[in-house]
Amino acid sequence: MTTDALRFTSHRPMKAGSSAWAPQRTIQSSSGMASEAWGRATETELIREAQKGSRTAFEALVRQYDQPVLRLALRLTGSEQDAQDIHQEAFLKAYRYLANFRFECSFYTWIYRIVTNLCLDHLRRRKSRREEQSVVVDSSGGEMDLLSNISDERAMANPERELERKLLGERIQEALGRLTPRERMVFELKHYQGLRLRTIGEMLNTTEETAKNTLFRATRKLRTNLATLR
Amino acid sequence: MDCELAQQKIALFAYGELPDDQCHLLEGHLATCKRCQEEFSAVQALQQAMALAPTLEPSANLLAQARLRLEEALDTMPRSGWLMRVQQSMFRGVAMLGRAPVAASALLVLGLASGSWAGYQSALRSHRPPAELPAAIAGPGTIANVSSIVREPNTENVEVHFNRLVPETTQGSLDDPQIRELLLVGAQSQVNPGVAQNSVSLLAGECEAGHQCSDGPLRNALLVALRYDKNAGVRLQALKGLKPYVAEDMRVRDGVLEALMNDEDATVRSHAIELLQPVEADSSVQEVLHTVASEDDNPHIRTVSHEILDESPQSQ
Repeated sequence: MTTDALRFTSHRPMKAGSSAWAPQRTIQSSSGMASEAWGRATETELIREAQKGSRTAFEALVRQYDQPVLRLALRLTGSEQDAQDIHQEAFLKAYRYLANFRFECSFYTWIYRIVTNLCLDHLRRRKSRREEQSVVVDSSGGEMDLLSNISDERAMANPERELERKLLGERIQEALGRLTPRERMVFELKHYQGLRLRTIGEMLNTTEETAKNTLFRATRKLRTNLATLR
Repeated sequence: MDCELAQQKIALFAYGELPDDQCHLLEGHLATCKRCQEEFSAVQALQQAMALAPTLEPSANLLAQARLRLEEALDTMPRSGWLMRVQQSMFRGVAMLGRAPVAASALLVLGLASGSWAGYQSALRSHRPPAELPAAIAGPGTIANVSSIVREPNTENVEVHFNRLVPETTQGSLDDPQIRELLLVGAQSQVNPGVAQNSVSLLAGECEAGHQCSDGPLRNALLVALRYDKNAGVRLQALKGLKPYVAEDMRVRDGVLEALMNDEDATVRSHAIELLQPVEADSSVQEVLHTVASEDDNPHIRTVSHEILDESPQSQ
């Protein structure tokens, strides 16, 4: 079984009344070789192989999910270092507990359950130390420019607009920081990752109903905190 | 739909999570209620504002770094064969803490410690049953016990060593060594007699059929079950499994003789006699048969013993 060369692209269909920004889910392997269709059957095989001890199979599974895991961790912690730590912990846990996976849910849900728990722990620790993170830090601890992912061309074309965006970004980070860890998690998974509340409930070991209430509270709080923005 | 309900549903509607029939009701309400219309616009504005703000994406560099670190960490984890993995799965909690790289385990322990204190405190406060506790601690299974707690001096940090009971399932063929290993453990199960019986009968079945029963552990397990299991049915199963080996294996023969002499169940004893027929010429078998012929409580067994002794050319 080839370990590299897995490219997987998925787009969530737009629903009536859904967010104007549809999250794009593209996962690419670093070697970029010929793509392989990723079906459930293939994943099941890989999981079984990995459960029997195949490191190769495990690494193939990791490649499938490590980008969204890292993205989630980065967005929730705001720190490259913390995101890397969570990424590592999550996959090491997956490696250790893989024998426990009994296919009662999808592997995707299982992995996300691990990483959301780690992120929640992180958020709770941060809250208890009363750190507020309204700016994002990179691996060396320096403040990260949220515009760094945007091309210079665009930034130069309309510097005023870009500055507005940057300030908006900071305010949003601040508002997100005021949510409880669970509210933040549910909002992140719903708004930025586009997951269904039912799936989110599964991942957080709670009911869909609870997830709905949490989303409601989160949007309420965010609206209040960002009230002047229209 | 009234305003209070509508307000709650609006966020769900905006995220496409409202069931169709409720959408219809909400749309009807929004058409007439200004206040709720404003609420809806506000939520949409929130979504748009968030869409405008730059989003954080992991750079290719970060991803590559993370992957490299993970590979290194996986390299330092010991490679385990199936046997070790089964043992690990039995004592996973303790083993995990022992094997993990120091940094990861320290992180994990501190995180778990603070999480478990918080979970424990809130469980105490709300008088929830202990089953709530594991939800506060990431990981599978339940907490079996806490073995030690060490406080880092002058800080709020504590290190908690605990053990997990992690139920697991595996499946495979009876020829699979991992399955066999598990059956061997199951054969000695004190807690669940049904499990012991099942395990022994499966292992015995394998031996009867001659499937890779040449190794020691399987026969040992059957001999142990024959000698010590409290359930006569289990002992009977064990006997059946040992049948093919009475002739070639002295230990098996001795085990069956022991059963013939000392087992409290008559069915087990009479089966034991049957098993010994191929080797009735053996001197120790003869000795035992003599004893049994005169001293066994069960008349049928005494009769059969006599018959065998009479038939045997070496009988006196």
